[in-house]
Amino acid sequence: MPIRVLDPQVVARIAAGEVVERPASVVKELVENSLDAGSSQISVEVRGGGVSLIRVTDNGAGIPPGEVGLAFDRYATSKVENLDDLESISSLGFRGEALPSITAVAQIDMITCAAGDKAGTYLDLRDGAIANRGSQGRSQGTTVTVRNLFRKIPARLKFLKSVATENGHIANVVSQYALAFPEIKFSLFLDERMALRTPGNGRLIDSIVEVYGAEVAENMIELRGEAVAPSPRVAGMVGLPKVSRSGRGYLSFFVNRRWVNSRLLARAVEEAYHGLLMVGKHPVAIINISLPAQEVDVNIHPTKSEVKFGNERAVFSAVHRAVRQALAEQITVPRVEEIAVAYESPSGPTQAFPLPAQVHPASPAPWAPEVPTSSLPVLRVLGQLGNSYIIAEGPDGLYLIDQHAAHERVQFEKIEQQRSRREIEVQGLLEPMTLEVSPRQEAVLRSHYQDLAEFGFAIEPFGDRTFLVRAVPALIYNKDWAGMLRELLDSLSEGDKGDWAEGVAASMACHSAVRAGQTLTDVEMRELVRQLEQAAAPHTCPHGRPTMIHLSSEQLKREFGRT
Amino acid sequence: MKLSCLQENLDRGLNVVGRAVAIRTTLPITNNVLLATDQSRLKLAATNLEMAISCWIGAKVEEEGAITVPARLLSEFISSLPSEKVDIGLSPQTKTLGLKCARFEARISGVDAKDFPPIPKVEEGIATKVEVEALRQGIAHVVFAAATEESRPVLTGVNAEFDGDLLTLAAADGFRLAVYKLPLAQPVSQKTEVIIPARTLAELNRLVAEQEEAVEITVNPDKGQALFRLKDIELVSQLIQGTFPNYAQLIPKSYNTRAVISVADFLRATKTASIFARDGSGIVRLVVAPGGEMTPGKVIVSARSEEIGDDVGEIDATVEGEEAKIAFNGKYLTDVLSVLHEAQVALETTNPSSPGVIRPVGVDNYLHVVMPMFVQW
Ligand SMILES: Nc1ncnc2c1ncn2[C@@H]1O[C@H](COP(=O)(O)OP(=O)(O)O)[C@@H](O)[C@H]1O
Ligand SMILES: [Mg+2]
Repeated sequence: MPIRVLDPQVVARIAAGEVVERPASVVKELVENSLDAGSSQISVEVRGGGVSLIRVTDNGAGIPPGEVGLAFDRYATSKVENLDDLESISSLGFRGEALPSITAVAQIDMITCAAGDKAGTYLDLRDGAIANRGSQGRSQGTTVTVRNLFRKIPARLKFLKSVATENGHIANVVSQYALAFPEIKFSLFLDERMALRTPGNGRLIDSIVEVYGAEVAENMIELRGEAVAPSPRVAGMVGLPKVSRSGRGYLSFFVNRRWVNSRLLARAVEEAYHGLLMVGKHPVAIINISLPAQEVDVNIHPTKSEVKFGNERAVFSAVHRAVRQALAEQITVPRVEEIAVAYESPSGPTQAFPLPAQVHPASPAPWAPEVPTSSLPVLRVLGQLGNSYIIAEGPDGLYLIDQHAAHERVQFEKIEQQRSRREIEVQGLLEPMTLEVSPRQEAVLRSHYQDLAEFGFAIEPFGDRTFLVRAVPALIYNKDWAGMLRELLDSLSEGDKGDWAEGVAASMACHSAVRAGQTLTDVEMRELVRQLEQAAAPHTCPHGRPTMIHLSSEQLKREFGRT
Repeated sequence: MKLSCLQENLDRGLNVVGRAVAIRTTLPITNNVLLATDQSRLKLAATNLEMAISCWIGAKVEEEGAITVPARLLSEFISSLPSEKVDIGLSPQTKTLGLKCARFEARISGVDAKDFPPIPKVEEGIATKVEVEALRQGIAHVVFAAATEESRPVLTGVNAEFDGDLLTLAAADGFRLAVYKLPLAQPVSQKTEVIIPARTLAELNRLVAEQEEAVEITVNPDKGQALFRLKDIELVSQLIQGTFPNYAQLIPKSYNTRAVISVADFLRATKTASIFARDGSGIVRLVVAPGGEMTPGKVIVSARSEEIGDDVGEIDATVEGEEAKIAFNGKYLTDVLSVLHEAQVALETTNPSSPGVIRPVGVDNYLHVVMPMFVQW
């Protein structure tokens, strides 16, 4: 389709608005244009946080000489023609708005050469008008260079953050599209430094290695993505619970490969991880949803970053199911079955699947933990690393033990054991302590203070939003048990229907365990390792994180090139 | 600044003030030690903002001045020197401290003394004196019972009540209470009650170990500060704000069983039992059995562990009242028994879930209350 100016009728229907908020918005628009042009290579070059220079070079279709000028006119596009087209947009751009908007706030030039043309066209715009035009040789493709962004709008310039922050936003835009289009070679240079380069071989995992690093990549699992009509096709990869992150920044969603923000999709994924992540942790996920263009409206937001699904329910459950299934499959692989069994879930069958944190990527990294068996060999303590890890030697190589996670495991089993025998050790308080709670906490505590007795808390109601604590579990008597109780009540009042008893035991285990950063004496380390050796499920902490990494003699040899 | 002093005096002085040097701090200068001439002496000082220690050592001062330098560095250097005369000079332009001793020479760059946090002068308030041995015992008998966990700050301190010629020290961590009374060598005019951080008192106890002179105490509750003046040393501490629990009501007024036993035997039996109790939370079980016509009474001390096994020890006792069973955290028992100098101790109990009281026999200035652990018998 040639570039044409849209009919006023169509213009009235597009959700127009300001698209250039910050340098990263320019990068996003230019990269989207390159993608729409069918490029297989896109290179982005940025200087001074994008204010000095942004240059995007592609090997796409290019623009024929006769249409180049038109590309900078408002509402001129080659991607949409009439109202019907708006109903099923399959390109990333459709408003003919980006180039003119950028022209209004920066100097811009373009060199482009369409297929079959002998020479390329050179165009230079200043203050929104063509300043220079000529022909210039180049191979097929387009290079757009944007200089001095916001130079003439000091108010906008003032709003920008540091170069590092703007670079961060830019890198994120390019990374997201690199994840969405693994078949395209992306490169990003920030002030002459190569910040990202993807191989463009079509394999998502290889893009993930470049964007998030090998550690995350090794722990990603593939969604199977078969479509059950009428629901959409869901494809991509999600991270094992152990590579969880403390923010939602690692959730990437694409709809027909358009990068979008979507609370609906974030919720669908997070719910699939329910019970597998610690509070405040979020999964890593890269998910593309393909569905007929008519079933999604992309024309609702100026920057096109939000979409509306025709059938939200279907999308939600398709994503939820795909992620849940992938996770469930992973944990039943035979190699890890053993710990899944050894992990004695105190809650019985209500727990959907106790997920061991360690599931093995196809080719384990040298430091990937060994396949756990249910019991530990006898270990000899060699020392402490960074006041957080115990280094120990076993019959087959080296063990690095996370002291907090290991002690949590030991304490957790002790608590469960004492509770099952009804032998919880209880320390009385010399003077009952009043515990004041919030209205929300009160509701939870009122329905549960008797259950807490099983764990050694003697608590009784004492007027408005106050309770009297007369005794506490001996395991945590000298810890901040009041703080622990409040945390526990909060986590449970936040609508968490998880198993109450297991939550209490895990919380007590966590609070009574030695912290990372605490110096341990040799005797203490030996004692902890001895107790861990006797634990029923020594390889994971109650939250499912690994307690240790095993580096076998074989691996050591291999790493040192001695085989 | 130009002066000379003896290596061993400087070394000792740096050790004394070193205990107040901040370790983890957001104010880097508190990692430094202050050196300042003070008439014909050299004053050393360090502070971690909760506690400040100053120490004066004899010196030959030729030129007055002051500077602060990194405490660890200076102290390690000085301690490695031979015990001879140390010449100290400050180059005011470069703020570099030059040190010379025998054939060693070092230069340490410092930070202006003006930037050092001022050490509070505690002048107003009540002033009194305590004999050093009494103070030492008083602190040792209570300081271990203070809380180390910070969620209730007042419990990390020792409550000190100055009343007439009596000082009452009390510490509690929610599960136990220690109260010790000692005489003041100089009565106070006004009854005053303050909470002194237990950490400060533990430090003070180390400092008084080497002196015989009475300790002067000045307490200013309004400013929240206390000063302890020793020979050549001053320790200034911030006080903990808040109200200490009314502990008098926590002391049981009566008992059903009272056993008098040897401190040494009880301590040994508890320590042995604690070995077996360490797998759990250190539960030590006591059965107090009254004697018969011909047999003496006894206290049976036991512990058991699912994995290791169990341990039972018996101690002869003079028992008054009925048989009693009670369980305690073994650490709580060993903590208190270890500070007692008396030969015998009385253990008073009411029932398995009410506090037990431990009093040394023959003196009435100390008592210790411990809350039991609740166990299945
Ligand atoms: N890199 C590019 N390669 C080929 N054509 C391009 C490129 N960038 C822009 N164009 C052309 O310029 C037109 C206007 O671009 P733009 O203002 O971004 O609007 P839109 O992308 O919404 O159509 C596009 O429709 C396209 O035809
Ligand atoms: Mg566009």
